[in-house]
Amino acid sequence: MAVKHKTLYLYLTLVCFIGIILIFIFDGYLGLYDNLIIKSQEIPEKFEADFWLRPYNQASTYVERDGKIKFNYEVDNRRFSTYTADIEVSIWQVNEKIAVIFSQPVSITAFDKGQFEWFINTAELVPVDYPSNEQYFFTVVIRIGEIERRIVTTVQPIRYLPGEIKIPAPPR
Amino acid sequence: MKLEYVLYGFGILFCIAGVGYLAAEYVKYLSDIGKIGSLLLTVGLFAFLGKYFEGLGW
Repeated sequence: MAVKHKTLYLYLTLVCFIGIILIFIFDGYLGLYDNLIIKSQEIPEKFEADFWLRPYNQASTYVERDGKIKFNYEVDNRRFSTYTADIEVSIWQVNEKIAVIFSQPVSITAFDKGQFEWFINTAELVPVDYPSNEQYFFTVVIRIGEIERRIVTTVQPIRYLPGEIKIPAPPR
Repeated sequence: MKLEYVLYGFGILFCIAGVGYLAAEYVKYLSDIGKIGSLLLTVGLFAFLGKYFEGLGW
């Protein structure tokens, strides 16, 4: 009987250990996750859910002057209830909101994904009289429920202005 | 022979420290229910392990 008890305690220990591992796996899987893909260059930049968890991480991207940036934002609701919130995507400069790209209510059913896609055309955003040899900065802010994601965007200056390069006339 | 046991001791200690560190890092991202569940199971784990060693005559 004593031998059986000993084995029983060992099995119970194993059950507890497996239980902890299972909690780690399922708790890690469940939750609300958001991924962002930015395509401003040839290679898309992907900011996955764990990127935002690290405290000092700052999402950033850059684009050529007059270029377009494509954003793909995905919210993965791995919960047993429907996720309801409002999403607002806006453009900020320093502490001033300069434009709202879109704002709408969101409802994502349990274990489903919500997809959002938008473009930013820097030709419409950068002032016409802004010096073309200087960088222009703005921040794209995504607010969904209590989640806030900030993407610092740099518009690159035009390195060579048309007319600056003078090609010498071919010798006759 | 004794030196071997010392090395085993260090090995076991580093293993426990490593697993403990990884678990502590992971626990940061667990939900509150997950944390409570893990805590209860950890208490149970050590309690049953203690009973097991007690049965062995330790």
